[in-house]
This record gives sequence, C-alpha cells and structure tokens, in this order.
Amino acid sequence: MVANKSSLDSVDPVDVTSFAGTQLLSAIGDPLYASDAAGQLRPRLAAAFPQLSAGGRLARIPLRRDVRFHDGTPFNAAAMVFSLQRFRALGKLSYLLDDRITAIRASGPYELELQLKRPYSALAALLSSINLTPVSPAAYRQHARRSLAQRFVGTGAYTLAGYSPQQQKLLPFRGYWGEPPRNRGIHLVTLSNSTALFGALVSGEVDVLISQGLESDQQRALAQRARLGQLVEGVGPAVEIGYLTLLSDRAPLNQQLLRQAVARSLDRRLISERVSFGMRAPLQSLVPPPLPSATPPSWPGYSPQQARALYRRAGFCQGRRLNLPLTFRSNVPADRLFALTWQAQLRRDLDDCVSLEIDGVESTTAYRQLEKGAFPMILLDWSGDYPDPDIYLLPMLACAKASGSRCLAGGSAAFGSFWTAPGLQRQLEATESLQGAARQQLLQTIQRRAAHGAAYIPVWQVAPRAWAQPSISRPEFDGSGRLLLQALSRGTP
Amino acid sequence: MSRRRALLRYLAGRLALVPLMLWLIASLVFLLLRVAPGDPIDALLGTRAPLEAREALRQQLGLDQPLLVQYGHYLGDLLQGQLGTSLTNQEPVAAVIGRSLPASLELGLVALLIAAVVGLAVGFSGIARPEGRLDLAGRLYGIGTYALPPFWAAMVVQLVFAVWLGWLPVGGRFPATLVPPSGSGFYLLDSLLRANGQQFWGALRHLVLPASTLGLLLSGVFANALRLNLRRSLDSDYVEAARSRGLSERRVVLRHALPNALLPVLTITGITVASLIGGALLIEVTYSWPGVAFRLQEAIGQRDYPVVQGIVVVVAGLVVAVSVLVDLVVALLDPRIQF
Repeated sequence: MVANKSSLDSVDPVDVTSFAGTQLLSAIGDPLYASDAAGQLRPRLAAAFPQLSAGGRLARIPLRRDVRFHDGTPFNAAAMVFSLQRFRALGKLSYLLDDRITAIRASGPYELELQLKRPYSALAALLSSINLTPVSPAAYRQHARRSLAQRFVGTGAYTLAGYSPQQQKLLPFRGYWGEPPRNRGIHLVTLSNSTALFGALVSGEVDVLISQGLESDQQRALAQRARLGQLVEGVGPAVEIGYLTLLSDRAPLNQQLLRQAVARSLDRRLISERVSFGMRAPLQSLVPPPLPSATPPSWPGYSPQQARALYRRAGFCQGRRLNLPLTFRSNVPADRLFALTWQAQLRRDLDDCVSLEIDGVESTTAYRQLEKGAFPMILLDWSGDYPDPDIYLLPMLACAKASGSRCLAGGSAAFGSFWTAPGLQRQLEATESLQGAARQQLLQTIQRRAAHGAAYIPVWQVAPRAWAQPSISRPEFDGSGRLLLQALSRGTP
Repeated sequence: MSRRRALLRYLAGRLALVPLMLWLIASLVFLLLRVAPGDPIDALLGTRAPLEAREALRQQLGLDQPLLVQYGHYLGDLLQGQLGTSLTNQEPVAAVIGRSLPASLELGLVALLIAAVVGLAVGFSGIARPEGRLDLAGRLYGIGTYALPPFWAAMVVQLVFAVWLGWLPVGGRFPATLVPPSGSGFYLLDSLLRANGQQFWGALRHLVLPASTLGLLLSGVFANALRLNLRRSLDSDYVEAARSRGLSERRVVLRHALPNALLPVLTITGITVASLIGGALLIEVTYSWPGVAFRLQEAIGQRDYPVVQGIVVVVAGLVVAVSVLVDLVVALLDPRIQF
C-alpha cells in the first residue's frame, strides 16, 4: 500500500496536471521515451530515437511491435496518432505539443511521423512526458472528444483495477511487453494531511509513503527513522526548483545592482538547514542538477561583504535602509518558513542595509497577479513537464516582445520578472537546434547572463523521497522524479 | 380554521420561500467565486503554460464569456436540474455530489447519534443533585467539548488511537484492500444489506474515529441544552403541581419535565444536522474523509466553479429541507405554537 497526499480528479492523460496523476500514469501507461534516475533518456514504446530530416523539421519515430493495450488491442502508429491528436484537442497541457508540432501522421504501421514547427533537439525528452502516453483507440472511441476520468486503458505495467479519487488499485498487466512488476499489485491511497500520512507509515498502516506534500519536520523524522534502520529511504532526482522572481521594471528592483546585491544576500545553506533540515538542497542554477548545464553553478553564493558593497554602491547602508517586500504563497508551509528565516538572516547579517517585509498570498491569487507585475519579489517553484533544461529556462526567460531590457510579452512577463537582455531570445531559440556539448555550452552562457541580470534567484531544489517499511525494497525513482511502483517488492530490505 | 389547515398553510408559506432562498444563495456563490482572485486556469496550470495556452483553455472551458452570459447558462441549467460539469475533469457535478454526500451524511448521522446519546446522558445525569459533583462534571464536560478546537481534538485522537495504539485506521473511509459495497453510498448500510461482515467491519473501523470525535465535540451542546431546559421545567408550576399530587419524582421527571425539556433539544438537533451536512470540514480533512465538505474545500482550491456552486446549492437545499421538517415536527408536538 503506497500513500501520498493529493487526491485524483481524473486518470485521463488529457486532464492530469498534478503529481499524483502523473505518478499513477507512469505505472499504468508508458511514454515513448523515459529517463532513468541518472538522467539518461532511453526509448520505451519507441524502438529508437527520432530520425530527423536534413532540415530538422520532420521526425520519424519507429515504434515497438510487441506492445498491447490493456484491452488486448495492439499498439501501433495509428494508436499513437489517435492519442497525440486527442491530447492536442483536449489536453490541459496541450501547449506542450502545440508549441512544437504542426502535424502528426502514421508513416507506416509502426512508424510515427511528426512535422515540427522548427528543429527541436530535445524532442525525445518532450515525448517522455507521461501525459503523452498512448491510450487504446478502441476503448476511447466514445471519448475521442471528451475525457474519460475514471478508467484508463493504456500499455503500462499495471492495469487500473479500481478507481476512486482517494484510492486506486493496480494489478500487474499479464500481457506487458517489458519487465513485469516485482509485486502482485499496488494500492494507492490518499490521505489529506501530513500528520495522517506520517502516522499511517509509522503505525504500519501503509507500506510506502511518498514525500510530496509531507511537512519538513515529518520528513526529517522519517529520515532519522531510516538511519536507525526502522524504515528504508529512497531519494530521486530533483525535478522541482524553488526560486525568487524579482520585478525588474519597477523601483526598487529595476536597479540591476540591487538585484545582484539581493542575490548575494541569500544564505541558502542556512535557509535550507532551518527550513527543511537540509533536505531542500541549495541551488545556484535554474536547472536542477541531474540535467545538463546545471553545473557549474551560474548564480553567486552567499557573500555578505559583496552584498554590502553592492548595496552601498546603490546608495544604501549609510543610514539608509532598503525596504524589500517579499511575497510568499501562504498555503505552502515551506515558503512561509523561507520568508521568516531569510528575514531573520538579513536582520542578523545586513540589518543596516536591507530589511525584508514579508507578506503571504494564496498561490492561485498570486499566479493571476504575476503577469500584472504585482510583486516586487516573490518565491515560487517550478517543475519541468519533461526532463530537459529547455523546459526550465525557456518559460522563465523567453521574451516575444521587448523594449531594451524590459520584456513586454512572453514567458519572462508571465513569470513576473519582465526581464530580458539583448540577444537572449535568439540564444534561447538557438539551443533548440543545437545538440551535445555546443548546446550545453550555450545553455550555460544563457544561465550566466540570467545570473548577471539577477531577475531570478534560484533558492533550492526539491528531490522526491519515499520511505518504506523495512520489509519492502528500497524505493527507486525514474528521471522525472516519480516512484517506480513496479520496482517495489517485499522481502528485500 | 382547523389546526390541520393552519399547519398546511404554515408549511406552504415556508416552502414558498425555498426557491427564492436557493436562487439568492446560488447567485451569491456565483458572484463571490468570480470576484475572488484567480480562476480555474490559474489553479490548474499555475505559471506553467504560456499566456496563449492559458487563454485557449479559458476559452475551451467557456470562462472567456461575459459574466452575464455565464450566469444565464448557470441559472438555465439549474432550472432544468442540471448542476453542470466539473472544470477539472468534465465529470457531472451531480456525480461528484452523489459520491461525496452519502459519506458526509453517514458520518453526520452516526456523529449525531453519538452526540445525542452521550449529550443527553450527561445532561440528565446531574439532575438528581443540582450543583452536585455529577452536575458540575457534566457542566465542565459541556463547556470543555464545546470549546475544544475540532482540528486539534481530531489530531490528538488520531495520534493516540491510530498512530500510537494502532487500534483504528488513520484516515480514509474504507480499506484500500477491499472493494467498497455498491448501492446507496452508505457503506454501513450497504454492507449490512449484503450481509458482508468484512465490508461492514472495514467501514465501521474507518468510521469510529471521525464519528466519535465529531459526536463527542457536539455532545456538549446537547448536554448543556438538556440540563438547562430540564432545570427550567423542574422549577415550573406544572411540575410543582404534579409533585403536590403525590407523583413519584421519577414519574415527575420522565413524564412531565423531560418531554417539555426535549423540545428545544429537537430544534438544536435540526440545526446540528444542517450544520453537519456541509460543516464538518475540519473533521473530514483531518481524517481524509471523502465527504462534501472535503470535496468543497478541494473545489474551492481548484476554483472549480460548477462543483462549488453545485455543492453549495445542494447543501443549502438540504439545510432548508431539514429546518422546515424540524419546524414542522416541533409545531406538531408543541401545542403552544400558533400558526
């Protein structure tokens, strides 16, 4: 029995946007490609990586021939076309494809052909998004134009044998093409609060607990129990980052000097320790470390001396103190702790230069007001829909329309920073067609430029964790930070 | 006019107000949801989708239409008995409510039973010796349970009985390893009708902690209400007259004072039932109980307008129905009430 916090509204890939939904889909569905915990991308339902045309705008993807859906019908290119087109028509995240792909065709019984808007070197990573998992055309015939919330017929290692928003029952799919699950089935249960989740694992009511939504002190208590051998802990690759957005087109943070000072005023190590007992590791990149271009860090570390010098140059610290407003999401416990801790840290280290004025806003309200430039500085988080640096950098830094270093429209404006730099958009676009070392180099250049602009300040990375009873095998994760349910087994402590 | 006709007229008058009340509530909820910052797209996608994609989804869900048009559609659907479909998964709102309302009703009814039995027992216990130890303990119990914050009490109960002692489940409504009984949605009843002991035991084990917590927290109200009304009745002239006729104290209390003291308790029961249908939020959240209050809280977080509107209207309808019923019963039982 595996427990987590968020309940499910739907198991249809076109509806799923939550962690609980993608966690379930990853067990009952298969993507075309998947990345492992080391960040290595491998074909799953695809037989090989995409073969690109000379101009890079046409991608052919050979598909496996030995795959069947849970209803016994064969998986083939027509099924993949049906699923992708259905996702484009109904998907809440349909922009993932709309922004990249103009046409989807079956160029053979087992070959998928994608017409791209422009060359995209991270196409395989994009196609590793679990929302793009195929569904059986036969089972979804009546639901080609509407979602099917409570049933799922895909190709994954498990079949969905029972569904309610709070409980799902998974049974191994006998006709699975890949390695069969190491267990006889999984019960996924939702408990709505952190204390109940913690209690359920400690009392032995559940076998495995996923860290999503679990409060920091309870995570620490479970980690301590794991160190004592009372539980088994597994840690996955970080896919979620926490970062600050600084409003760069209005006073006071329209001064780059001040933004750079703020970037050096953040004692990430201390904050990580106080807020999450070190479990949210400090981050000096907008891309989480398992992905390329995350290292070496582009953002400067904590340096009160350098920060003070910059504040002085901006006219502060000499009897004049900068009052810096920080907004945090009031419904996210870690955000509140971050705000309080940073406020205290600044009072301790730079009290004569800067003072933090903190204010909480409910997350949904905050998201709506970001694009209106309502927050001089706000703490947010971000998880990529697929494991590639592109999905972290592009949304925050893209700018469709700019006036000097002010972004008027595009991702940067939508994220509330309104910051851009001359030529940055061209560099972002160039990364889409580059590959290998050249791409990595350019991604690092972009990050260095963003760090210099200091309109975003990475704070921490959140690695998913899971704890299991000692009689269960150590929890393992895939490259997208999801627990591999099929790898759980009893009797292998 | 005969008493029966007067009663029917009274009832018709009360029922005539119901549509107006429901329209007001439905309109108010509709308006308040739209005034609140953020919409379903912000709740669903946060910052992740480009502006154009968010606008496209807003259009797809009909949220780009003028407010009056949306209101017109909403009222039109409501008049035809349609509550709309959820914005998060396109599931009919009636199905969402149909799944969660029995859970809330089951929890509420069992909690009410516990509250009534415990509350009335405590309220009655001190009556033999007013201001005695038992009476004092009953008063303390009434004030204490009423004053306890429900979420705190629920967490302590959960910690002791589920985590430390491991006697009962931490949360949820039914064991994940069993298939829930189908039927009315009342698991205790459904499993009893099917004579399935395993299902009944599973449902009961999950119900014990939330229902006991809720019931005991409410029992103080019943205890205090009964104690005060019984005391007032025992001091009244008709009780004095009964005593002077030589009736035993037991007969005086049970036959003369108690029935009159229970009438206000009946009104309190009605109000409690009404508040339990949608108001046990903290208990439902703490125990992961998938009732309407829990679903309403989720829907508000998701800004799922049709689900919020549907739940509020249905719960309001039930509350109105229960209060009309209680008024009617009290009017029938109490000859002093004039129509």
